[in-house]
Amino acid sequence: MSSLAATVQKIFDEPGCPTNGSKSEAERKQGCTKQLQPGSAAGGCAFDGAKVALQPFTDVAHLVHGPIACEGNSWDSRSAASSGSDLWRTAFTTDLSETDIVFGGEKRLCKAIKEIMDKCDPPAIFVYQTCIPAMIGDDINAVCKAASQRFERPVIPINSPGFVGSKNLGNKLAGEALLDYVIGTQEPDYTTPYDINLIGEYNVSGELWQVKPLLDELGIRILSCISGDGKYREVASSHRARAAMLVCSKSMINVARKMEQRYGIPFFEGAFYGIRDTSEALRQLARLLVERGAPTDLLARTDAVIVREEARAWAAIEPYRQRLKGKKALLITGGVKSWSVVASLQEAGLELVGTSVKKSTSEDKQRIKELMGQDANMIEEMTPREMYNIFKDAKADIMLSGGKSQFVALKAAMPWLDINQERCHAYMGYVGMVKLVEEIDKSLSSPIWVQLRRPAPWEALAKAMQQMQSAAAASACEPALTETARRAREICVCNTVDLGTIEDAICAHGLRSVAAVREHTNAVGGCCQRRIEEILASKPSAMRQAAE
Amino acid sequence: MAQSAEHVLDHLELFRGPEYQQMLAKKKIFENSRDPVEVERIKEWTKTAEYREKNFAREALTVNPAKACQPLGAVFASVGFEGTLPFVHGSQGCVAYYRSHLSRHFKEPSSCVSSSMTEDAAVFGGLNNMIDGLANCYSMYKPKMIAVSTTCMAEVIGDDLNAFIKTSKEKGSVPAEFDVPFAHTPAFVGSHVTGYDNALKGILEHFWDGKAGTAPKLERKPNGAINIIGGFDGYTVGNLREIKRILALMGIQHTILADNSEVFDTPTDGEFRMYDGGTTLEDAANAVHAKATISMQQWCTEKTLPFVAEHGQDVVSFNYPVGLSATDDFIMALSRISGKEIPEQLARERGRLVDAIADSSAHVHGKKFAIYGDPDLCYGLAAFLLELGAEPTHVLSTNGNKAWQEKMQLLLASSPFGKGCQAYPGRDLWHMRSLLFTEPVDFLVGNTYGKYLERDTGTPLIRIGFPIFDRHHHHRSPLWGYQGGLNVLVKILDKIFDEIDRKTNVLGKTDYSFDIIR
Ligand code: SF4
Ligand code: SF4
Repeated sequence: MSSLAATVQKIFDEPGCPTNGSKSEAERKQGCTKQLQPGSAAGGCAFDGAKVALQPFTDVAHLVHGPIACEGNSWDSRSAASSGSDLWRTAFTTDLSETDIVFGGEKRLCKAIKEIMDKCDPPAIFVYQTCIPAMIGDDINAVCKAASQRFERPVIPINSPGFVGSKNLGNKLAGEALLDYVIGTQEPDYTTPYDINLIGEYNVSGELWQVKPLLDELGIRILSCISGDGKYREVASSHRARAAMLVCSKSMINVARKMEQRYGIPFFEGAFYGIRDTSEALRQLARLLVERGAPTDLLARTDAVIVREEARAWAAIEPYRQRLKGKKALLITGGVKSWSVVASLQEAGLELVGTSVKKSTSEDKQRIKELMGQDANMIEEMTPREMYNIFKDAKADIMLSGGKSQFVALKAAMPWLDINQERCHAYMGYVGMVKLVEEIDKSLSSPIWVQLRRPAPWEALAKAMQQMQSAAAASACEPALTETARRAREICVCNTVDLGTIEDAICAHGLRSVAAVREHTNAVGGCCQRRIEEILASKPSAMRQAAE
Repeated sequence: MAQSAEHVLDHLELFRGPEYQQMLAKKKIFENSRDPVEVERIKEWTKTAEYREKNFAREALTVNPAKACQPLGAVFASVGFEGTLPFVHGSQGCVAYYRSHLSRHFKEPSSCVSSSMTEDAAVFGGLNNMIDGLANCYSMYKPKMIAVSTTCMAEVIGDDLNAFIKTSKEKGSVPAEFDVPFAHTPAFVGSHVTGYDNALKGILEHFWDGKAGTAPKLERKPNGAINIIGGFDGYTVGNLREIKRILALMGIQHTILADNSEVFDTPTDGEFRMYDGGTTLEDAANAVHAKATISMQQWCTEKTLPFVAEHGQDVVSFNYPVGLSATDDFIMALSRISGKEIPEQLARERGRLVDAIADSSAHVHGKKFAIYGDPDLCYGLAAFLLELGAEPTHVLSTNGNKAWQEKMQLLLASSPFGKGCQAYPGRDLWHMRSLLFTEPVDFLVGNTYGKYLERDTGTPLIRIGFPIFDRHHHHRSPLWGYQGGLNVLVKILDKIFDEIDRKTNVLGKTDYSFDIIR
C-alpha cells in the first residue's frame, strides 16, 4: 500500500502540467483532481480509469482482481476498435467470494492467471487491483512477479484500486504501470526514422484508422499507439520511437513526459479533431521527426497532403456551413479536448454558447478563450438542472456531449449528439470532421424535435381556448374573423376538407350536386354527403348568381 | 443419418442428410432442367430496370397479391358479435381457406360454416343449401346469431340472400325472430377490407333498420356514447383491448362494434369456446343511439360510416393511427366528441412515447423503408415513419385505390422526408420485388409473405401486417395508443440493431464494431 501511496504522490508532482507547476507544495499533495464530494453524482473510479486506458491493448488478457461488480458491470462497454485480436474484449475476473475475502484472494488470483495462460496463451496479462482485495491486503505485485517468473511471460500489476481517487488518476496510474513494467522491455524488429508513438489515443469507433492512411501515405509509422488498437509487443518496444504525440492531454501526460526524460523522445500535445488541428498535428509530427533526423522532404510532402486534404474537407463541409450558420451549440465533454472541438464547430459555422472545462487544463482554457472570446461561457460544473435550463431558455440549439448528459438534453427535447466514448461514429481527422458536421446537421434537421417540444395538443388547445375567450368579444365586432372561423369548419372529416374550400369550389364552378363537389374537391362525399347537400341547398342565391 | 425412432428429425434437418441430398441430386438428372447459366442470367435480368418496366406494364396477371377476398373480411367482422356464427353461402373450399388463414395468424380455432354449394346448386341456385345449412348449423352449434355472407360462386349465379333467408325461416330452418343479418360479399370486387365493410354494414342495417322488414325500425334517441369500429386488423386483439383501456381511462361510455378481441384470444383452461366475448346483440342495436361513431380505418368503413351518418350520428375516421401525432389526433377526437378531459395517465403515456422517440430516433432518421399492406395500415405506418424522420420510399397496397393513392401522396408531400417517395395502388409483391431491386431501401415492412422478398432482395423484413404466420403472438400487443406507438418503434429498432449486429459480426473482419452498446 505504501508504495501505491508513493506512486500517487509522484503523479501529483507533474512538471509537465503547468497547473500543477504553479501549485504550492501543500496543494500539490492534495492531488490535481478535485476531491470527490460525498453525495454528489460521481464519475468512474481509479480502477475504471486504469482499465479504460489500457484495455484497448487488444492482444492482452485483462484480468480484474475483485468481486464481481468492478468487471461485471463494465466489461466490453467501450467500442475501441481492434484490427486483430479480440482477446481484450473477453472479461476475465477473479469474481471474489466471501471465503476469498476472509482468507485472502491471492491464491485465487494465481490460479486465474494460470488458467488464462493455459487457455488463451496471451503475450501478456494485465492484472487490475480493485478496492476489496486492496483492503484485505492482497499483494498483487508479488503475485504478478511470481507468475511472470513461473510462466516466463509478462504479468503486469495495475495497481489502481477504485478508492484512491478519480478516473483521471486511474489513467495516470495505468501509465505508471506501463512505464514501470512494460515500456522498454522488448526491442522492435526494425526501426525507421519515421517511427512515432501516439499516447492517449484509444481508437474509439476506429477513428484512428481515419488518420492512419494519411500517416501511411507520408511514410510515418505508428510504432506504438497507447493504447488504441495496440499490441503488447508494440508498447513494450515503444521506447525506440523518434517522436510522440500526446493525444488526450490529461490522461497520460506522465507517460509522454517520462518517455521524453528516459528515452529522449520529444512530444507535443495535439489533436486530430477539427480540420486545423489535424493539419497542425501532422505538421508538428513532421517537424519533430525531421528534427530527430528524418529526411527534410517530409515537411514538404506533409504540406502537400495537408493542402489536398483540407481542400477536400472544406468542399465537403461547404454545403452544410450555410445550413448550420448561426445555430447555437453547447458543448459538454469528458475526455475529448474541448478547445479542439470548439475550433471544429466554429469551422462548421456553429456558434458556441458554452463549453465545459471540467477536465480541461488552464492551458486548454486559455485556448478556448482565444477561440471563443474573453467572455467565453466556460462551464466548470453543471448540474443536470442547469443544463436543462440552458435548453429550456432556448439558449442553445444542440448539445454535443457524452452519453451521460444526453438524457438531460433529450428530456428538454433538444437535439443532441454523442461525441464521447460510446458514440457510434468516428469524428477524427478530416473525414471525421465532415462526418461530425453531417451528424450535427442530421440531428438538427430531425423532425422529432419540433414534435417533442410541442406540448400535448390538448394542453395547447386549453391555452388557445383561454385566449379565445378573451378574444371572443373582439372578434364579435370583427366580421372577417368570424367569417374565417365559419369557413374553417370541417365538412369532410375523412379527407379534412373545410367548408371554405367547398364553398369556393361551388362558387367557382357553379356546382349543383354532391358528385360535382367530389370531383372538384378532396371531399369524399361518403359520410359527409348530407353535409354537402345542406351546403348546396343553403347556398344564398347571390352566390349562385355570381357563379352563373 | 437416416430417420431413427430414438431421435426423430423433422424436415428442417432430416433432408440435409447425405442420403436425401443424394436422392435429390439424382432426381435432378431426370428433371431435364435448364442450363444453370441461363437460369442465373434470367435471375439477374429480373433485377434490372428493364425488367421492372415490363413488370409494371403487366395488365392481366397478379403475382403474389397482398390482399385477400371479401368473405374473409366478412367472417372477421362477424365473429366480433356475441355468439355469432359466420355462415358463408357458397363453396365450402373458400370457407376452409378463411378459417385456416385466420387460425394460422391468431393461433386460435376459427369457427365458420359454409352452405357447401355443389355443382347442382351452382346450376339451380343455392336455396336448398341455404335452408339446410341454416337449419344444421343452428341446431349443431347453437349460435345467438348467424351472419351470412357469400363467396364468388353464390354471387355469380346471383342468389338473393334476403329472399333465401326469408324462405329458410318460413321453412323453419331457424325461428322467425332469430337474427340472420346478411351481406353480399362478391370477392371479385374489392378485397377483405371491403368485405369487412359490407358485413358490418349488413349487421348494423339488420338491427337498426327493422331486421329485413320483420321489425320496426329503431328510433334513435341520442345518448353520449361513442361507437368504435376497428376495421380489418391483424392486431385486433391488442388494439381493441388498448382502445377499451383508453376509453375506460377517459370514462367514455362506448360500444366496440365487431369486437373480436376475445374470440381470437381465448384462454386455455380446459373449456373450448366456440364463441367468446364480442359485441352483444343488444349493444349492437343500441349503438344507433350513440352520439358518434369513430372508424379507426377509413377504407374498411367506406360504406358503413356513411350509413351510420345517415342515422344522424357524427362520424370520424382515421387511417390506422400509429405514433405520436396520429394518436394525439385520436385522443383529441375522443375528448372533443365526448367532452371528457384527457386524464393525466394518458399524458404520461404520451410523455413516455416522446421520451422513447427522442432516445432512439437518430437510428431511424434518414433510413429508407418500403411498406406494403392494407391501405389504412400503410398510411398509418408511413405517417409514423415520416414523424421519425424516416423515408417511406415505396408504399404499396394491392387493395388501395386511386383515392388512397391521392391521400397517400398528400401525406408524403406534407413532409420533407416524403420527397421522392411514391404510393403504388393496385400493385402486388412482384412489383415490389422490382422496386426493391431497382430502388433499394434499408428495410421492408410487411406481412409474412415479405420473407420471400427479404430472401430475394436482401432487404430486412420488419413484420407488421396481416397475415403473420411465421411469428407468434404479435397480435396480442397493440399498435394503437401511445403504448402501441412504442411497440412499433421497438419492432423497427430491433430490426435496425439486428442488422447492425449482423453486418459487424464477421469474425476478424468486421467485428471491430460488434459492440454491446448501440
Ligand atoms: S470503486 Fe472499487 S469496488 Fe467499486 S468499481 Fe471501482 S474498484 Fe471496483
Ligand atoms: S375469391 Fe371467391 S372463389 Fe376464391 S376464395 Fe374468395 S370467395 Fe372463394
